[in-house]
Amino acid sequence: MKSRNLHEEALRIPLDNRAISYRNRILEVLEVSKRGHLGPAFSVIEIVDVLYREVMNTRAILDRAETRDRFLLSKGHGCLGLYVVLESLGLLEELNLNTFCSFNSPFGGHPESATIPVIEFSTGSLGHGLPVAVGMAKAAKMKNQKLQVFVLVGDGELNEGSIWEAAAHASKHNLDNLVVIVDYNEMQASGSVKSVLDMEPVVDKWQAFGFETSHVNGHDPIAISRELKRLSKKRQPRCVIAHTVKGKGIPEAENSSVWHHKAKINSSQIAGLKSGLQK
Amino acid sequence: MRQTALDTVYALAKKDPRVVFVGSDLGADTLKDMKVELPNQFFMEGISEQHLIGFVAGLAKEGFIPYVNTIANFLTRRAFEQIAMDIALHNLPVKLLASGGGMVYAPLGPTHTAVDDLALMSSIPNFRIFSPGDENEMRELLLRSVGDSSPWYIRFGKGGEPAFSPMNQLEPHKPKLMGETKPEVFFLTTGVLVHEVLQAMDELKKSDSRPVGVVHFPELTCLEFESWKERYLAARLVIVAEEHMPSGGLFSRILNKIHSENLDTRKIRQRSLPFRYLHNYGTQQEHLNFHGLDAISLLNYVKSN
Repeated sequence: MKSRNLHEEALRIPLDNRAISYRNRILEVLEVSKRGHLGPAFSVIEIVDVLYREVMNTRAILDRAETRDRFLLSKGHGCLGLYVVLESLGLLEELNLNTFCSFNSPFGGHPESATIPVIEFSTGSLGHGLPVAVGMAKAAKMKNQKLQVFVLVGDGELNEGSIWEAAAHASKHNLDNLVVIVDYNEMQASGSVKSVLDMEPVVDKWQAFGFETSHVNGHDPIAISRELKRLSKKRQPRCVIAHTVKGKGIPEAENSSVWHHKAKINSSQIAGLKSGLQK
Repeated sequence: MRQTALDTVYALAKKDPRVVFVGSDLGADTLKDMKVELPNQFFMEGISEQHLIGFVAGLAKEGFIPYVNTIANFLTRRAFEQIAMDIALHNLPVKLLASGGGMVYAPLGPTHTAVDDLALMSSIPNFRIFSPGDENEMRELLLRSVGDSSPWYIRFGKGGEPAFSPMNQLEPHKPKLMGETKPEVFFLTTGVLVHEVLQAMDELKKSDSRPVGVVHFPELTCLEFESWKERYLAARLVIVAEEHMPSGGLFSRILNKIHSENLDTRKIRQRSLPFRYLHNYGTQQEHLNFHGLDAISLLNYVKSN
């Protein structure tokens, strides 16, 4: 019941100016690139923004210090949501986001560490981020570093078996410096998660794998900040179920498989999306 | 060969805290002394190769040098995408120690034999691919592995082969040239099959007047053509012998190389395992015999050509 209420809350919560500004920026980029994953990007923006702005040690990230917190966007197709946050914080340095998906651009439809220095690890194929994050979190433990490793996975991505292999090992190694954030928008490319492959009860699954779990409204920056700053109480890895809305902020795109990924986006569609964006 | 490899990793780990050993449920006796002496560098994880490769990529990204051991086909087939995307795309210094290359696990059937591993690994950029011929080569290669930042794939043959290479080697990865310098019959091979080839060469010396030469490639990604070019040019019959399916292994690499040098490839012959699933069991040696890769079969092949 709590889960259902949080999804309703995520749908209803108004976006603040920064949230709207990020979405407008994504629409600008899409107008040039004419393609991209809109829905997943709009789903993750507030989570990524709060992580970089309030939770992680962003100065250390900018300096590439060994003690920086790590963030992996395991659902790499949400990258536009990540790119606009990095851009606003000056973490992209001189790289030009307006080149998104063009031939010589550093910005592809999935984030690459080879072309964007601040990206910790290239992702794209689903189910890879969490195993790598487990390795990074274990490495930090072995080096007695206090850093935290955050990994954002999609709820559709939970279909992948490697997620659960990694979850079992995170628990085995008592990785209380690992935080898995599930972008729980209840949608995947072909429709609702429930209709494609119902993974419920998701919270029970993570708990059964030894994770300390909690819920948050994934579009409420204050709640996200409070939840992600909280440390593990029991030497366990943590899993935060972030209740989100795919395409959040534009009614036409919300909960829509059509706007999961789109190619050949034209200017009139962008104009329609912009006018639909909450003011 | 496997024990030599694991012992060498243990020795490397004692000297360098970045070296870690990672296995997937390999048995209680695997490196049991290392487990006690260096518990923080020893990981015996679950049967979960996909996770394991991502996990070691994460460790390597943070400065560790992981040595991962399990059966060759579980690495290359089960975790193929993780090897390509997590290790190779990021060019991380993970060393994959692949047990049971070729038909070592013949009695266990086609789920356990690794006859396509070199082809699979050859399709992944950045990896160095090794197929040492004896324990000395294995040890010498591994001793140099810590200092090399590339990802490695190392195919293990069966254990207990007689050593054909010296204890100390300056450049163990480079092609090893044996036999006549101007051969009429020239064998090219890799891995433990070199023992069959050398035996065939010895037998030929007794019963065939033609001079015979052999080159063994411990590293498939280091053909160093110039070092055996003259032998190739001199030879009238060139036989590429490998314990692998016909495509994607040594034969494919040799053809690519000779073609790129704009030289005649028509004198090259192939001796390999067939391109089909093998439903016989028995021993590795029985399979070599059946598929014409043992010394006697190679000898007879030369005599009939």
